[in-house]
Amino acid sequence: MQKTSAEIGGMGHPIKRKEDGRFIQGKGNYVDDVNLPGMVYGHMVRSPYAHARLKSINTEAAKKLPGVLAIITGEDLAKANLAWMPTLSYDKQMVLATGKVLFQAQEVAFVVAEDRYTAADAAELVEVEYEELPVLVDPHKAMDADAPLLREDRTEKNNKIFHWEVGDKAATDKAFKEAAVVSKVYALSPRCHPAPLETCGCVADFNKATEKLTVWLTSQAPHAHRTVFALVGGIPEQNIRVISPDIGGGFGNKVPVYPGYVCAVVASLTLGVPVKWIETRSENLQSTGFARDYHMTAEVAADKDGKVKAMRVKTLADHGAFNAAAQPTKFPAGLFSICTGSYEFPQAFCEVDGVYTNKAPGGIAYRCSFRVTEAAYLIERVMDVLADDLKMDPVELRQKNFIPAAKFPYQSPLGWTYDSGDYHAAMKLALDTVGYDALLKEQAEKRKKGELMGIGISSFTEIVGAGPAHSFDILGIKMFDSAEIRVHPTGKAICRMGTKSQGQGHETTYAQIVAQELGIPAKDVQVEEGDTDTAPYGLGTYASRSTPTSGAATAMAARKIREKAKKIAAFLLEASEEDLEWEPGKFSVKGAPGKSKTIQEIAFAAYTNIPPGLEAGLEAVNYYDPPNLTFPFGTYIAVVDIDKGTGEIKVRRFVAVDDCGNIINPMIVEGQIHGGLTEGFAIAFMQEITYDESGNVQGGTFMDYLVPTAVETPHWETGKTTTPSPHHPFGAKGVGESPNVGSPAAFVNAVVDALSHLGVKHIDMPITPWKVWNILKEKGLTG
Amino acid sequence: MAVKIEKTFQVNEPVEKVWVFLSDPRKVGTCVPGAQITEQVDERTYKGAIKVKVGPSVTDYKGEVQIVRLDEQAHEIEILGKGQDVKGKGSASMKMTGKLRAVDGGTEVVSVSELNVIGILAQMGSRVINEVSNIMFEQFTKNFRQQLQNAETGGSETAAAPKPISAVGVAFSALKAAVTGHSGRAEAKPGPEGAKDSGTS
Repeated sequence: MQKTSAEIGGMGHPIKRKEDGRFIQGKGNYVDDVNLPGMVYGHMVRSPYAHARLKSINTEAAKKLPGVLAIITGEDLAKANLAWMPTLSYDKQMVLATGKVLFQAQEVAFVVAEDRYTAADAAELVEVEYEELPVLVDPHKAMDADAPLLREDRTEKNNKIFHWEVGDKAATDKAFKEAAVVSKVYALSPRCHPAPLETCGCVADFNKATEKLTVWLTSQAPHAHRTVFALVGGIPEQNIRVISPDIGGGFGNKVPVYPGYVCAVVASLTLGVPVKWIETRSENLQSTGFARDYHMTAEVAADKDGKVKAMRVKTLADHGAFNAAAQPTKFPAGLFSICTGSYEFPQAFCEVDGVYTNKAPGGIAYRCSFRVTEAAYLIERVMDVLADDLKMDPVELRQKNFIPAAKFPYQSPLGWTYDSGDYHAAMKLALDTVGYDALLKEQAEKRKKGELMGIGISSFTEIVGAGPAHSFDILGIKMFDSAEIRVHPTGKAICRMGTKSQGQGHETTYAQIVAQELGIPAKDVQVEEGDTDTAPYGLGTYASRSTPTSGAATAMAARKIREKAKKIAAFLLEASEEDLEWEPGKFSVKGAPGKSKTIQEIAFAAYTNIPPGLEAGLEAVNYYDPPNLTFPFGTYIAVVDIDKGTGEIKVRRFVAVDDCGNIINPMIVEGQIHGGLTEGFAIAFMQEITYDESGNVQGGTFMDYLVPTAVETPHWETGKTTTPSPHHPFGAKGVGESPNVGSPAAFVNAVVDALSHLGVKHIDMPITPWKVWNILKEKGLTG
Repeated sequence: MAVKIEKTFQVNEPVEKVWVFLSDPRKVGTCVPGAQITEQVDERTYKGAIKVKVGPSVTDYKGEVQIVRLDEQAHEIEILGKGQDVKGKGSASMKMTGKLRAVDGGTEVVSVSELNVIGILAQMGSRVINEVSNIMFEQFTKNFRQQLQNAETGGSETAAAPKPISAVGVAFSALKAAVTGHSGRAEAKPGPEGAKDSGTS
């Protein structure tokens, strides 16, 4: 790919983020910054019980509070057939509870008042009578015959959501029977929460005169949400405008539709004034899309030399009270079947059972492409267990089993076609950077002295960019994405996409793609997303799909524009199109130095001097259906030291080598990697949302659910290899999620490695000092 | 969420006198911060209420207290309390056993409480619940001694109308206690007769 000048700032230039100017000055425009004349405020009354019959709701006292305008209950919504709404996974979810509540903090009533404080005070006055029911918090008990039935609304009288399986069971079982070695691990990927800096919320504004509903929404997928509003609310889709303004982080948490959004819309439709609803931090942690809660068993069959023969995975997926995850229709367990990872398994079989429990609904993909984090964690964990069983170096075991670079595109036993990869190269760079051999020596010496040090490897493979229309849809809408580029007469441009940045830097990276393809300087390209009245339709930003889909669409639309620009250039230069050659920013006549037209001159001509037979203007739109997913990969190495007295784990070094194909902006990629590694660090060591036996949330505040600060965060050492995607228009793969997907296993492997000589095979996340200290105490090592 | 709290403290009164007090829920009830015994249902069952304030929200538990076991000989009492918040903010139950033992110069009171809280209070986490319990217990101990003394000096047994105990205040004290190792409240300072924590779980 031809590198553009710094002035143009196309692909590969580490240009500063265009959006940061307003963010660092506090001039961002988030949903809570939207203030409209006459706007009123909503507040949710929530259930204190995890499972209880709803006997009565008394709103009299609350209604008497001055300033209270309306109180909406489930019974009210039922009259409009809105008490339930569809989820993005073909389940349905209560908007406001009717009959019973199914999780603590479930939405029970929506209070609307003239100001936020009155709404909150009035919510306190709503009296709800409950009758407690037996609570189910353990997914393992969900399928028991005597388990309490949670979802009485379903025809199936059990707590099972789905059973999904893939692979050749018979051949896999046979391989296990014949195997010399079988290694097994039970690993929990604990329930955690994306906890974006900005919580969820909306402003709903129904204009009775125009019958138009405008909703400012914290949405990662504004177009899909508009369609859901149209289908559920019966409002004509052209009369709904969803605007996702600046979004303060999403990480999957802003993909589902939440009851608060629907209630705010209903309140605005009813009252005819704008209604704002913004979650508190605790509401966000307790009721909106959580992640993980995968209870996984993995077995690997291998020969005595460590060559893997088969993998068998059985997983229990706890989706909470409603299956409110956003999964592609054909994949109820997402892309979990990437669990054979970077290794050449001849056979594999994977099954997942989804179950209901009395917990908040969800199962969203937290900074991962539909359950890829769970899969990558599982395979990288079980490979270490196998290495330990074989007394083999985990690096050697991985290298022995990597899919060789020459075998791409590679067909996995669970049905994926990996586009490209060079796993040995990424591994080698990581080992050289960290100084692996010297670390092994140091570890051996430290063990002699009784000191605890561990090295953890994770050579993950991701699967992102959902996805090809033949296999991928959400509620039937195919997972293409789009771009529309319009070049103005002065050679500047605006482009709009179906995706929506939540901090990823789209305003910069998409502009760089246009710069690369058309030679219009990135600073002259305005990128706009998130307004359904102006942007072309798309499925939004999650699953690292923006670059693989809308990024590709941007390049394809730019290429259409370049084709038209060529015709205009030929006309202006009085040459034939075949005699023209392109370099970013201008067309020149071959062999005639100085005879050229810049893209700016061409753009001006498109409005002022139009060639006969051509339409005026210079714009194009593309809806890109990716032919395949992309498969980023990398090797991460963590080095930890453990304090025997306290169990404290110090991450001494962390080397991250990523391969995300061709890079648009290396600075943004590095920023994404830093952020993702920090989240992975938090998941490995700090974060879990637990429930007690009564279904009380135990991680519902930042006092209990910990977020790492600069103080705890280790120093990250990053590196890259470049293996372009062969099917993507400019060879990119997507990177936002790799560090979150790949790093938890590296951290856990490092801690287990530090303790493996004591017989420790596995420790579940989050690995807190308390857990480690208890292990050390058990082994008599705390001193 | 279930929390087990074990507490031991001493009072400078003879066992028999303390027992008369301890075995009467109406008397003990006045010592619990924010609590009130409103009605006697039968010999062993009472109706009562306790208010706990969390920020702007007052959790107002109403329910029953029942004496499950009363052993005059061993000076042991087992009490079961259950309540629901009147506005549906959650529920709480507590099983408490109290045992008296004569010691040099007075009586040792040993109590083991198993508290189960559902709802807003429970979300505050076991650390806070434990510390809230500690502080409530310290106040209880202080009241208990005061009431015993009042009984001796012929002072009034009727307590003033119960004020809701503020869990936000308590939570901050609890936080401070957790980070500094003492709650910073005058009555919480461990004195020679101060409540001593014999371990929580």
